[in-house]
Amino acid sequence: MQTIRNLTRRHWRLLSVYGLGAAWLATTAMHIPDGYLSPITAIILYALVIPFWYRGLQALRTKVNARSIPMIALMAAFSFIIMMFNVPLPGGTTGHAVGATLAAILLGPEIGGLAVSIALIIQALFFGDGGITAIGANCFNMGVVMPYVAWWVYQAIGGTAPLAANRRVVAAAIAGWVAMTAGALITAVEFGVQPMFFTAADGTPLYAPYPLDVAIPAMIIPHMLVASVIEGAVTALVFSYLQRSNQAALQLNGAPATSATQTGPLSYRWLWIGLAVMAIATPLGLLAPGTAWGEWGSDEFADLGLSYVPTGLARLESVWGAPMADYEIGFLGNASAGYVLSALLGIAVVAGLVWLLTAALARRQHPAS
Amino acid sequence: MASARGAIERTLAEIGHVLEQSLFAETLSRQPGLLQALDPRVKIVGLLALLVSVSVSRNLWVIGGLYGVALALAVVSRLPVGAFVRRVWLVLPFFTGMVALPALFMTPGPTLWSLPFDWVITRTGALTALFLLTRVGTSVSFALLLIWTTPWNTLLKALSVLRVPDGFILILAMTYRYIALLLGIVDDMFLSRKSRVVGKLSTADERRLLAASAGALLGRSLQLSTEVYLAMQSRGYRGRPRTLDTFAMTARDWAWSFGLVALAAVAMVVGQVGG
Amino acid sequence: MAEPVFALQNVDFAYDSGQMALQDVSLSICPGERIVVLGSNGSGKSTLLKLLDGLYYPTGGELKAFGRALTEAAFADDAFNFAFRRRVGLVFQDTDVQLFNASVFDEVAFAPLQLDLPRADVTARVEAAMRDLRIERLRDRAPHRLSGGEKRRVALASVLSLGPEVWLLDEPTTGLDPRSQSWLVDFICAQGAAGRTVVTATHDLTIVDTIADRVLVFGEDHRLAAAGTPAEILSNSELLLACNLTHEHWHRHPEKPDGHRHLHYHGAPHDHGHERTG
Ligand SMILES: Nc1ncnc2c1ncn2[C@@H]1O[C@H](COP(=O)(O)OP(=O)(O)OP(=O)(O)O)[C@@H](O)[C@H]1O
Ligand SMILES: [Mg+2]
Repeated sequence: MQTIRNLTRRHWRLLSVYGLGAAWLATTAMHIPDGYLSPITAIILYALVIPFWYRGLQALRTKVNARSIPMIALMAAFSFIIMMFNVPLPGGTTGHAVGATLAAILLGPEIGGLAVSIALIIQALFFGDGGITAIGANCFNMGVVMPYVAWWVYQAIGGTAPLAANRRVVAAAIAGWVAMTAGALITAVEFGVQPMFFTAADGTPLYAPYPLDVAIPAMIIPHMLVASVIEGAVTALVFSYLQRSNQAALQLNGAPATSATQTGPLSYRWLWIGLAVMAIATPLGLLAPGTAWGEWGSDEFADLGLSYVPTGLARLESVWGAPMADYEIGFLGNASAGYVLSALLGIAVVAGLVWLLTAALARRQHPAS
Repeated sequence: MASARGAIERTLAEIGHVLEQSLFAETLSRQPGLLQALDPRVKIVGLLALLVSVSVSRNLWVIGGLYGVALALAVVSRLPVGAFVRRVWLVLPFFTGMVALPALFMTPGPTLWSLPFDWVITRTGALTALFLLTRVGTSVSFALLLIWTTPWNTLLKALSVLRVPDGFILILAMTYRYIALLLGIVDDMFLSRKSRVVGKLSTADERRLLAASAGALLGRSLQLSTEVYLAMQSRGYRGRPRTLDTFAMTARDWAWSFGLVALAAVAMVVGQVGG
Repeated sequence: MAEPVFALQNVDFAYDSGQMALQDVSLSICPGERIVVLGSNGSGKSTLLKLLDGLYYPTGGELKAFGRALTEAAFADDAFNFAFRRRVGLVFQDTDVQLFNASVFDEVAFAPLQLDLPRADVTARVEAAMRDLRIERLRDRAPHRLSGGEKRRVALASVLSLGPEVWLLDEPTTGLDPRSQSWLVDFICAQGAAGRTVVTATHDLTIVDTIADRVLVFGEDHRLAAAGTPAEILSNSELLLACNLTHEHWHRHPEKPDGHRHLHYHGAPHDHGHERTG
């Protein structure tokens, strides 16, 4: 118990250090520059994203055929512009949306994701915005994770409601929020694994320096509070505008407005699968044989475990020097478990909220059932 | 961060900035200079190789040396060196600097420097922050070299050297071309709306205006995509895109491509020695 | 008489949205003829040109080009598609639609590249078209950095490099200064003199008698309201007024400070002693 209390205190301190920077980052897009990710990570992410591009091109070819080139080009240009829109926030500040949710809802996740990816490639290649070696990573986070998560959530909540239903606006908003949060989570995981695997001989992290337990809260919390809200709001606002003035645009994704064949449960299943994947993917890094993670994290937490004193950082170096001190291993177990638990808890809370909202909306729309 | 400028003004400012930036790059890339004169395929391969060598380096001195190479290339290409340095090092502290700052204190390691209030900068922390900053700064510099010395349409075609298919190149070209058009349309939408409003728009109005603009823009994009397809068809397009490049490698191009790649290879090898 | 280039029999066309754009249009256009299509905004001029270019297919009636019906099935035949695209060129009303490539060179090269010509021939055609339209110095420029008049020239060059025997021009004078306008008129006349068929849609009555052998007038009901020689049509002020091509209004002449009411179209000869600009 002692450990958990200190862990929380430790996190508060971390967050206060991060508050400013992270809040600033969160209001900008989460474009990873060159240099944050090791080449191996970059290559893996390129390899992960290419099948999705292929899939997107296939979908494009079957859906719009020869028209595909101008269609995807214009939609990518549209995504690019949406990324530039400043959205007003309370307190006089403004923030950006990624627009991946909107693209996914309008065009479906395959084509929408492709459009976002092309916009990201243009940003990297012609405007120096986001890294060139990180194109794979950025396209994976914003052009794959975000659109697919957005699509699942939107389908799950929107269900079979008519296109003009308010329920769809809510679905769009939640989809935006969840998708952005998921994108931030994946980005944080990519950052967080860097010090686990890619350090100099003396343990100096060579790329993004923070381990998972720091990177995840630092990315997730400000995103949940700011950027995800913006993404949700932009998606919902544009969606409701289109409901009123251009419903044809909402039918581009091919799904008919009110398809009777699409049943609720199937979509829900996808949502649960998606959330489960997220839940598993997040702490996966912890289970990996991460000695580097152990080094770094245990030290920090060990620091806490011994009633925290700031100068302790340096002093603890000697403690650290003692190889395989017993409490370290014990502590590592604790930290990981706590982290896994909090990740699961967070996802459970989100899933619960989504479920409650859906249930409430479903009741309002079909009072009989 | 609270500012008197509303979201619309900021968006307009950003649009202006993007247009300005692309004009700046286009103007620079057409001026005489070493990199400008090279075959774009050489530049893509050479600068990418250098970018990768920055990425894999485990040695700060090597990264520093590579930054020196970037600077030297900027100088011999007659780029405005002040702008080249500023563009990287004035922006970097805001983003990467902020990210790297806590690492100074939080990375465990031997004390480098004790500050008041028991804050301690560790040697490891300082090193990791330095790695991040120099690596990002040097990478951005190489990317800038490419962008500032190659007109975007030339750069596009040269992507075929990386085995990017013609269809994808055409998509990128059309996207870029219509981004320019859509930016102009958004600019007009916002300006015309602003000119009809006295004083500052309320936040709710701004949000409504943004949503309406985005919606209208989507409509226009869709309409354009249909019309552009007709225009392509009219000129014989049957779903098989083709591009024509007029690149020709000279002896000088071969020499430079060999030189840049060799340099990158050496940096990669030397960079594996920690330091 | 030679086989007509285009023959329309009771052609109707409605967009997917249900918007009617052409109704019961019958006409034929002969090889080498120079036609002007007049009509107010929304009367269906652009739609007609797109039908003639085989981009849309009639929703009613029959449209034949070179003796063959233009239908979706006809264009599914690759050989026909290829031959037709080679013979007919359309310059779109909106240059932003027409110019979709990254540079002027690519734009002009697009059509010849689609023809599967050898590289050297493509380059030769591009160079010739750019020379003819005097846009060589724009070669590497991006279309979005061109002025309105330059865009027009590039749009024309992009079709010229195809070497079509039928030109379809949709409001080509829009946004041109007087000098470029007269240059364009010369260009159309030269194409006509070379024996090519030129169909021009326009609102600009001042150029009609120079570039047309025959004028087709579309009414606001999307029907063909009249057809005739330029002299016949231009002197029929009632028709022009009914089709919203001219307007009744007051205007002042500097030399006659008292305003007077009259009917006219701008720049065209009328009996007040103005200088003729057309
Ligand atoms: N893509 C479209 N979808 C639906 N309706 C359309 C479309 N394009 C044109 N229309 C409608 O068809 C009619 C004819 O339009 P068209 O563009 O052919 O007119 P136009 O004579 O060329 O007009 P303008 O002089 O303004 O260019 C108009 O009522 C227009 O609103
Ligand atoms: Mg028209």
